[in-house]
Amino acid sequence: MASFARSSLLRQTLAPRPFLQKNVGVSQVVAFHASAKKQILPPLPQSVEGTPKPPASIHSLQSAERAAFGECFGSNCDAAIPYVLDINNATVNDPAPIPETHPSEGSYHWTFERAVCVGLVPLTIAPFAAGSLHPVMDAILCSLIVAHSHIGFQAAIVDYFPPKRVPKFRSLCNWLLRAFTLTTAVGLYEFETNDVGVTEALRRIWTA
Amino acid sequence: MASLRTTSRLFAASRPMFRPAFARTYATVEPTPTEQPKMKTFKVYRWNPDQPSEKPQMQSYDLDLNKTGPMMLDALIRIKNELDPTLTFRRSCREGICGSCAMNIDGVNTLACLCRIPTDTKSESRIYPLPHTYVVKDLVPDLTHFYKQYKSIKPYLQRDTPTEDGLEFRQSPEDRKKLDGLYECILCACCSTSCPSYWWNSEEYLGPAILLQSFRWLADSRDEKTAERKAALDNSMSVYRCHTILNCTRTCPKGLNPGRAIAEVKKMLAV
Repeated sequence: MASFARSSLLRQTLAPRPFLQKNVGVSQVVAFHASAKKQILPPLPQSVEGTPKPPASIHSLQSAERAAFGECFGSNCDAAIPYVLDINNATVNDPAPIPETHPSEGSYHWTFERAVCVGLVPLTIAPFAAGSLHPVMDAILCSLIVAHSHIGFQAAIVDYFPPKRVPKFRSLCNWLLRAFTLTTAVGLYEFETNDVGVTEALRRIWTA
Repeated sequence: MASLRTTSRLFAASRPMFRPAFARTYATVEPTPTEQPKMKTFKVYRWNPDQPSEKPQMQSYDLDLNKTGPMMLDALIRIKNELDPTLTFRRSCREGICGSCAMNIDGVNTLACLCRIPTDTKSESRIYPLPHTYVVKDLVPDLTHFYKQYKSIKPYLQRDTPTEDGLEFRQSPEDRKKLDGLYECILCACCSTSCPSYWWNSEEYLGPAILLQSFRWLADSRDEKTAERKAALDNSMSVYRCHTILNCTRTCPKGLNPGRAIAEVKKMLAV
C-alpha cells in the first residue's frame, strides 16, 4: 500500500511551509486518493483479475454492476470501493488467469540465460589463464557479453514496466534496449576487426 | 449434600485464618506491589474505510508487559479488549496453524501469535498490515487475489487412473518424504508480501507461497497432470519473475523454504 509512507512524505514537504497546508482541502485529499490519472504516487484502484480495464469511476458502470458494489454511493465513496468487479461476470471465486505463453519466454529463455551466464565464467578466465589469444574465443566472449546484458536489462524492463500500466513506455524501453544492444554489438565488432580486441585491450590496461 | 455445602462455606469463611502463605487455590495473577510496571509503546497502523478521505495513521498504545501475555497477539487482543475496541485484526488459532494473524511487526512479516514481544521497553513496536496489500481496515489486508492465484494452480490431486485394488492412492515413504517442507505451508501470505517481485508484479507473478504450493503438487508422486501443471507455469510471468531475493525464506514464520521450492520448479521446467 505504502500509503503511510505517502502521508509522512506529504507532511515532510508541507511542514516548513505552514501556509501551504491551508490550501490542501478535503476535496484535494480525496482526489489524491481516488484519482486514477496520477499513476505514480497513489496505488491504482484495486481490480479483480479478469477485468480488461477498470472503469474510471463507478458512475460509468451499468446499473447491474452498480448493484454489485453494495450500498456506498455517496459523494466521496469512490475511495471506499474495495475493488472493481469484472464486467464478464468474473467473481472473486474465479481463479486468476494464467498469463499468455510464448516460445521465446519461459523455460527456454531461462535455460538460455543460465547457459550464457555459466558459459561466461570459463570464457572470461580462459584467455588470461592460457596466455594465448584467439579471435574466435574473443568473438564468442563478446557475443555472450552482449546477450547477457541484453537479457539482464530486458528482465528489468519486464519487472518495472508492466504492459497493463505503461504499455507505450514499455515498448519504448524495449526498442531503446534493442538499439543499444545493436550499437554495442556493432561497436564490439569494429573493435575486434579493426583494433586489438577486448581481451588484448584489457590486458594492456591491466599491465599499463 | 446441603450439610456438606454449609460446612464447606464455613470452611471457606475461616480460610484466611490458617491458610499457609505459599498455597493458592486458584491460578490467579496477583500483581505484587514491589514489581515495577514495564510500560511498552505499541504503534499500530490505523485506517478506517468509513472515513476514506482520512489518511492512514499510526496510533500509540501503552501496555504494561507484566500484565500482558508474551506474544504480540496477546498485546493486540489486550489493546482491543481494554484500550480500543475499534482496532481491527484477524486472529483465530493463536498457535501458528491458521495463518490469520499475519502482519508486519517491527519490519518483519510474521504471525503475531508466533512473535514474542521484545522485552526492551525503551523501543516501541510498530505493527503494520502486510506490505503492499490493499487494506480492508486497520491490520486486515485484502487477500482476494492471493487466493485467486492459489485457485489458478489447481491445488488438488488430479488423477484419472484408479488404483489396482480400487482403494486409496498409495505412496512410498520416499515419495512421501518429498512433500515434507511443502505440506506445512499455511498460506499466511507472509512470504509473498515480503517479495519485491511480488510487490511490483502481483497481478501475474504467482509469488513464493503459491509457487511452493505449485511445487507441492508437481512433486506429488500420485498426481498425473504434471505436464499440464508445468505448461501452465511456462511463461515469463508466473515463475520467472523470481530473482532469488530470498526474502520469502527469511520471513517464513513456519521455517519453510519457498526459495528452494521455486528453484526446484525452475529445475523441473528447464529444458
